[in-house]
Amino acid sequence: MTAVDPVAAGEPGSEHGSGLGRVRGRVLRKLWQNPMGVVGGVLLLIVLIAGVFAPWLAPYPPTQVHFTTPFQQPFTVGFALGTDDLGRDVLSRVLYGTRASLEVGVLSVLLAVAVGVPLGLLAGYWRWLDAVVSRLADVMLAFPFLILAVGLAAINGGGIGNAAIALGIANIPTMVRVVRAETLRLKESDFVLAAHTMDAGATRILAHHILPNALSAIIVQATVIMPSAVLGEAILSFLGLGIQPPDPSLGIMLSDAQQYLFRTVWPGVFPGVAIAVICLGFNLFGDALRDALDPKAQRVRKGKR
Amino acid sequence: MRHSRLLVIAAGVCTLAACVPIQAVTSGGEHTDDFGTPVGDQRVRTGGELVMGLSNEPDRLDPTTSTSLYTRYVMNAVCEKLYDMDAGGKVVPQLATALPTTSADGRTVTIPVRTGIEFADGSPFDATAVQTSLQRHLTMKTSQRASEMGPVESITAAGPDNVVIRYKRPFAPITAALADRAGMIMSPVALTARGDNFGDAPVCVGPFKFAKRIPQTSITVTRDPNYYDAAKVHLDTIVYRIMPDANTRAANLRSGDVHVADTISPQDVDALAKDRSLRLLQAGSLGYQGFTINIGNVDGVGKPPKPIDTPLARDARVREALVLTVDRETLVNTVFNNWYEPACSPIPPQSPYASAASNVCQKFDPARSRQLLAEAGVPVPLRVELKVSNTQDELRYAQALQASVAEGGFDLRIVPVEYSTLLDVQKRGDFELLQLGWSGRIDPDSNTTRFLATKAASNVGGYSLGEMDTLLAQASQTNDVKQRAELYGKAVGMLLRDNPIVYTYRRRNLTVHTRQVTGVETYADGVVRLGKAAFVEGQEG
Amino acid sequence: MARYLVNRLWQSALTLVLASVIVFIGVRALPGDPALAMAGEEADPATLAAVRAQLGLDESVVVQYLKFIGNAVTGDFGKSVRTGTPVSELLGATLPVTIQLAIYAMLVALLLGLAAGVVAAVFRGRWPEWTANGFSLFALSVPTFWLGILAVLYLSVQLGWFPASGYVSPFDHPLRGVYYLTLPAVILGLTHAAVVQRQTRSSMVATLTADFVRTARAKGLGRGAVIFRFGLRNSLIVVTTIVGLQLGGLIAGAVVTERIFSLPGIGKLTLDSVFTRDYPVIQAVVLVITAAYIVINLLVDFLYTVIDPRMRVSGRAS
Repeated sequence: MTAVDPVAAGEPGSEHGSGLGRVRGRVLRKLWQNPMGVVGGVLLLIVLIAGVFAPWLAPYPPTQVHFTTPFQQPFTVGFALGTDDLGRDVLSRVLYGTRASLEVGVLSVLLAVAVGVPLGLLAGYWRWLDAVVSRLADVMLAFPFLILAVGLAAINGGGIGNAAIALGIANIPTMVRVVRAETLRLKESDFVLAAHTMDAGATRILAHHILPNALSAIIVQATVIMPSAVLGEAILSFLGLGIQPPDPSLGIMLSDAQQYLFRTVWPGVFPGVAIAVICLGFNLFGDALRDALDPKAQRVRKGKR
Repeated sequence: MRHSRLLVIAAGVCTLAACVPIQAVTSGGEHTDDFGTPVGDQRVRTGGELVMGLSNEPDRLDPTTSTSLYTRYVMNAVCEKLYDMDAGGKVVPQLATALPTTSADGRTVTIPVRTGIEFADGSPFDATAVQTSLQRHLTMKTSQRASEMGPVESITAAGPDNVVIRYKRPFAPITAALADRAGMIMSPVALTARGDNFGDAPVCVGPFKFAKRIPQTSITVTRDPNYYDAAKVHLDTIVYRIMPDANTRAANLRSGDVHVADTISPQDVDALAKDRSLRLLQAGSLGYQGFTINIGNVDGVGKPPKPIDTPLARDARVREALVLTVDRETLVNTVFNNWYEPACSPIPPQSPYASAASNVCQKFDPARSRQLLAEAGVPVPLRVELKVSNTQDELRYAQALQASVAEGGFDLRIVPVEYSTLLDVQKRGDFELLQLGWSGRIDPDSNTTRFLATKAASNVGGYSLGEMDTLLAQASQTNDVKQRAELYGKAVGMLLRDNPIVYTYRRRNLTVHTRQVTGVETYADGVVRLGKAAFVEGQEG
Repeated sequence: MARYLVNRLWQSALTLVLASVIVFIGVRALPGDPALAMAGEEADPATLAAVRAQLGLDESVVVQYLKFIGNAVTGDFGKSVRTGTPVSELLGATLPVTIQLAIYAMLVALLLGLAAGVVAAVFRGRWPEWTANGFSLFALSVPTFWLGILAVLYLSVQLGWFPASGYVSPFDHPLRGVYYLTLPAVILGLTHAAVVQRQTRSSMVATLTADFVRTARAKGLGRGAVIFRFGLRNSLIVVTTIVGLQLGGLIAGAVVTERIFSLPGIGKLTLDSVFTRDYPVIQAVVLVITAAYIVINLLVDFLYTVIDPRMRVSGRAS
């Protein structure tokens, strides 16, 4: 292999040619110009701070029981968001729950990317592999996801890893499809065809030419998976299949709160709001990112004016 | 001017933000049992359809193979038993005419049964029919009743009105067993016709007869004109609607969509009890909740116990320390809203077999616990692992327990396990502590022997003490209630010393019905009796 | 076309078989078994062994699988271990509930989603678009099961507008049946409405700003006509895809809704059967849900060729 890749170096104007730094600058500028993106970014920032710094921000350990003060109203002295049935501080639990939600989200995105991207690349590149991978993706799409989750929970007893694995697996097929479609498209593009004529190997073409250009589609898909994984975690934990007590989770808080709904609604309000804020942040930011990354969306925007 | 506005704002912010004072918990008073009242002289309407919200779907409606407790709720209206229990927890005759007589050697039990009455299919009820049913419990391969029947040698019908059970050795718990599913008598005609599929459409003697079952949804029974006491039956039909969610049952009671619902959550019961259109029935439970300490289950339940090298398994002092850290009172009050009761032994205090000795309870004493741990020479905090079924009540209790035992020097790690997996785990002995309760039976033997006798079927902790085995065997072969109570008192004494199982609390059977209906009854066995219920005059059904 | 169809059918069959093998082996890999789960607290070793033998669990997995498939082909899925009810009867009781719920929810989703999507596309940059977009963002971000719980508390228990739970077959009482399903269907349909809204909006925006549409407008075609003749029809293709994908997911996703509203649907059956290790039921449920998903997608692909003749050439859109 030659040290200099003539294709990568040249061809201004093709999506491949523009320097990564310039792309990043353009994307950031566009994000900044989009008010929804800014709002989403701010929400995400809040969520990230809450999640990452939960151990420092939370007034109490999330599992600390206060036998003498259950069911405190929000804005009570010492318990800003009140307490639950065991007298645990709702604020602390929401903070730690947010942290757990983010962990599950990130882990499942990583899993979906780690498995889905290579499979998608291979399926898009080699036709004979396509049949196998697409069939597998079909089975995964058609297979009732909850059965998988229950099965995993039965074997491992649930937990953050369990929820992340179940949600990650559930999101692999769509990731495969997205990457496969991108690969199919890019395979026919001029610079890949040119690379072929330069005798570049398949690995090299996939790694150096196709993958970098499929990156924006992958990132967009990741921003779609993220909020759905956060919601998914809440649903799984609500059904008792995700994170397991005593570990705090927003979904568990909701299902706990449902038990004593006739006594008080407060412990169920805040975790619900927290989930909504996390998802709203990712959705808004994801939308803006998609607009910024997708040249087609840009055309639409221009066309309107 | 400015100042006052500031003050107002400050006051507003204060009320909004930070100045709600802490609301202290109020400790609830004692709860008294209310088993419901029979219809008696009340003016009631004949007919109507009563709807009950049932908390769990029954399994097969077959007395021989059923394992679900909730099957008994439906069967109660359809399938009468040789004996029943009354409000006082005593066993009384139902299809039998008197309590059984036991021979001097204790091995022959004679049960006098009714004659001249009919099953729902019109076939006659007699001693032969009883014999057929009891025989089926013993011989059917998939029978869940075989062990409840005890060491039976033979079952015979002595004439049309007496059934004789001959035992290899005396077996006192049989009377109580016949007041449960083992005592439900099935129509021999239906048994011949349906065989193993009897449960698809059970036929027995009862105020109602089975009509239809929609899987996952409902079971309907209709009035049986062949019933011997048909004059006391008022309703036309009863529909048992499956409603697994406690909130849903409460909501439906309030909206009047169901007339009766069982297993009301302690979280909902206060709100329902306040509602004037509803009536709360409550009864203590025969069972107990608690956690088992694995002392010797290495090769699986039923295998000879082997020593386990953990402080808890090795040293009775460490186990005692653990028990002393369980603040039973505070735990039930916090977790179950003051509705459940602390439990310290397998013998419920209201049982006829309870005694001063069996009611002894270890007090919460974290200081003494730490002292015991120090004596045993184990590092504090001692880390222990508790496997728990991942259902809400169990988990909430475990989390509160974690806080309680921490005070006495234990670092409790909670490992939630899905229920079916937990059954597997406890059988294999793959646990240090395992939280799982027992629904309870009328006879104390069923609440002790199978959990505490060496190599018994449910002795999952592998506890083994020759003295205890002898004592429990002796108690099961004794017919006199007082003598048995004394023996169980002794057994509890040993339990307090060895602590193989830490008994924590007893549920209360909480049933609510609308005041449109009357005659709904429930006793300590939890079964809601609807057979002779009725709509109050002037109420729609 | 025929070759394409045969190919699709063959692939579908393969998917089904794969799914059945996975669940068959997977479910047996779980700790515990139906006999133990059924015995629950009363575990008598001899009885356990007898029950296992009766269920055929002592045979090899391959033999068990072949028997299962052989019977399944004839529509016989065996009997539920727990209740003894034939599994086909269980499916017959629960599947209609979920299908009704799913269809109702999809109607809600289409109605809300299409309307909001069209509004957003037509009134670009003005408050109706923000409202419509806000609605879909909200629906995508809020856990709908949580909304469901709050809805039960306020709309059912406190205000008494809707029944708190329960199911009435629309075939017995048409009006009551629809009434009972309304709240669950709206709750379940919300997320899907958001997805439909977004797709409708973007596809309509693309169409409305396309050159041929501008030409048509320049030639004097009315605004309303453009919206309906070009905008909506083109959006339909996208929406059909979504409906297909979502309807498959809806059946599986109905679990939570069924739980909150105590509906006796297949979602609840699925959960219960896994919890009690009711092998015959789990196997049948997975087969049926997978099959439903495949059939719906086949139908969707077929619909494409009806809506858009161009698709006939290229086969399926991926």
